[in-house]
Amino acid sequence: MSDTTDPTQTDRRNFLLKLGTGAGIVAITAQTGASLRSLVPNITYDAPTTVKVGLPEEFPDGLKFLPDERVFVFRTGKTFHAISAVCTHLGCTVRAEALSRPEQTTVEGQPLRVTHRFSCPCHGSRYGGDGSNISGPAPTPLAWYRLSLASDDGQLVVDLADEVDHAFRLTLA
Amino acid sequence: MKALSTRAPQQPAAPGVRPRRFWSFRPQSDRDAGDAVVSNLLLHWFPSNVYKPSLAWTYSFWLGTASAALFLLLILSGLPLMFLYIPSVERAYQSVKDIEYVVTFGWWIRAVHRIAAHLMIVTVVLHLARVFYTGAYKNGVGQGQQREWNWVIGVVMLLLTLFLSFTGYLLPWDQLAYWAVTVGTNIASSVPFIGPTIRELLIGGRAIEQATLIRFYVLHIIVLPGALGGLFAYHMWRIRKDGGLARADTAAVLAEKRPTGVTASKTYTLLGVASGTAPTVTATSVEAPDLTVNAVPDLTRRALIVILGTFALISILASAIPSPLEEPANALVTPNPAKAPWYFLWLQEIVTDTTIRIGSFTINGAFLGGVILPGALIGLLTVWPWMDRTPRSVTGFWFARSRRTQNLVFTLLLLLIIAFTIVGLFLRGPYWHFYWPWEAWPNIPGRI
Repeated sequence: MSDTTDPTQTDRRNFLLKLGTGAGIVAITAQTGASLRSLVPNITYDAPTTVKVGLPEEFPDGLKFLPDERVFVFRTGKTFHAISAVCTHLGCTVRAEALSRPEQTTVEGQPLRVTHRFSCPCHGSRYGGDGSNISGPAPTPLAWYRLSLASDDGQLVVDLADEVDHAFRLTLA
Repeated sequence: MKALSTRAPQQPAAPGVRPRRFWSFRPQSDRDAGDAVVSNLLLHWFPSNVYKPSLAWTYSFWLGTASAALFLLLILSGLPLMFLYIPSVERAYQSVKDIEYVVTFGWWIRAVHRIAAHLMIVTVVLHLARVFYTGAYKNGVGQGQQREWNWVIGVVMLLLTLFLSFTGYLLPWDQLAYWAVTVGTNIASSVPFIGPTIRELLIGGRAIEQATLIRFYVLHIIVLPGALGGLFAYHMWRIRKDGGLARADTAAVLAEKRPTGVTASKTYTLLGVASGTAPTVTATSVEAPDLTVNAVPDLTRRALIVILGTFALISILASAIPSPLEEPANALVTPNPAKAPWYFLWLQEIVTDTTIRIGSFTINGAFLGGVILPGALIGLLTVWPWMDRTPRSVTGFWFARSRRTQNLVFTLLLLLIIAFTIVGLFLRGPYWHFYWPWEAWPNIPGRI
C-alpha cells in the first residue's frame, strides 16, 4: 500500500469505486423495477361486456334487475331500454323504488314512462326514473347502455361497454 | 436473584466480554443499572438514565407505549390467525367462520386481534393529540434536535395504522369487506387522469376478485407491519437522539432559575453510566443526578405495567365483545345502509357532503372529500411543526398559553372529525338518510 499516493493508483481506485457503486445502483433499480412491474396485470379475466340476457318476451312490462350485470332493463310494450345500477359517486349498487303512480314524461325528445326512481345505500345519492342525478353526492346521471337483439337466437343483448344517450330505445318490430 | 445482593460488580474476563448470561432488573449499583441497558439488546431503545418527570403518568399517559403494546399484541394474535386463515375468495369467508365457531379459542384470538386494532387507532390518535397539546414536536434547549421529523414519522405511522385496519377488514370477505373495498378503491379512482390506474394497481385488475384479496393480504401481513415496525424502531431511536421526551427540556428551563451546581464523579453518556473515574461535570439540566433515575428499573417497570395492563384490558374486552361477521361478500347486493367501520365514518360522511356543482361543472365528492380534504388535513399536520412560531421554552408543557390559538384550531379539527363520526355512527339510516336516534328506520326489504 506504499503507492497510494501514486495518482494513477487513486484514479484506478476511484474508477473502480464509482463503477462498483454505479453497478450496485443499476442492479437494485432494475430489480426493484422488475418486482414492481410484475404487479401490473398484463391480462385481466374480466366478465364479458356484451351479454345475452334472455328473450325479450321473458321481460315483464316495467323493470327487471339483472344482478350479474348490475343493470336495470325497462320494457314498455315493445320498447326496451337499459340503465346501469352502478352509482356514479363511488360504485355501490343503487336500489330501485317503484313510484306509487307511473309518470309519462319526455326525455331528450323521446317519450318515457317513468315507473321507478333510484337511491344509493352508501351515500344517499338519488336518481330520477331516467337515471338523472337529483340529489346527493352523485356527480353524473346513471349510464344508459345499448340494447340489441342477438342475430342467432333472438335474445336481448346488453353492451356494457357502449354507453348511449337517453333518447335510445330498442323497439321490436 | 438473591446472589446479586451480596455480589460486588465483577470484572469482565476480557475487555468487552460479559461474564453473566443475563442482566439485572434489580441493579445494585449505577454501573449495574447502566449495564442492564448497555449489554441488553432488547432495551437498546432506552437511555440508561431518564429525567424523572418524563415518567409521570399524567404527562404522557404512556399512550405511545400503549400503542406499541397493541402493535405487539396484534403481531402475537395475528400469528395463530395466519395459520388458520386462507386468502382465497372461495374459502376466506368459511375459514374466518371456522376461526369464529369451530377452532378452540379461535373466537377469542380473533376478538383480541380485532379489538386491539380498534383500540390502537384510538391510542395512536390520542398519542398524536398529546404530543400536539404538549408541544412535544418542538425543539427545546438541546443542540441539533430534530423533533419535527419524529412528528412526521408519527403522522406516517398513523396512516400506516389506518391502512393496516383497512386491509385487515377486507380479509373476512364479507359484505362489509367487499363494499368497503369497492368504495375505498373508487375513491382512489376519482383522482383525475391517474385515478383508474391507481385503482387497477390496488385491486390487481378491474374487478374486486382473487387478485385484490391476495394483494391486501400480503400488504396486511408483511408489507405494512414491516414498514410500521421499522418506523417504530426509528421513532424510538429519534426520541433518544432528540434528548428524550420533550418534558426533559423543561428541566433546563427550570435549571436556569435553580442551578444545581457542580456534581462530582459521574458521567452519563448514551452508552451508559460510568462512575468514579469520570471527569467532573457541571450539571444544570437533565443530567443533574437529583432529576434523573436509572432507566432500569424505573422506566422498564412502568413500561411493563403499561404493556401488561394493555394486554389484560384487551384480553378481558375480547372475552366480552364478540366480533361480528356479516353475510358473505355479494357483489350483487349493497347492504342498506352500507356503513364503513367507525374510524372511517367521518370520511364516508364528507364524501357524501362534498359534491360541488358550479353551473354545469361538477366536482365529485369522491375526489374532493375522499382525496383533497383528507390530503390537505394530512399535509397540514405534516407541516405544522414548521408553522409553529411559539418560543422554544414552551416545549413539553401541556396547554402552553402562547400556543392557545393553535391548540384551539387543532381541537376544532378533532371535534369536527368526531362530530362527523357520531353523525355517521348514530344518525344515518337506510339510503344514508338522516334519522334521529329515537326515530325508527323505515322497513326496507333487504333485496330488490
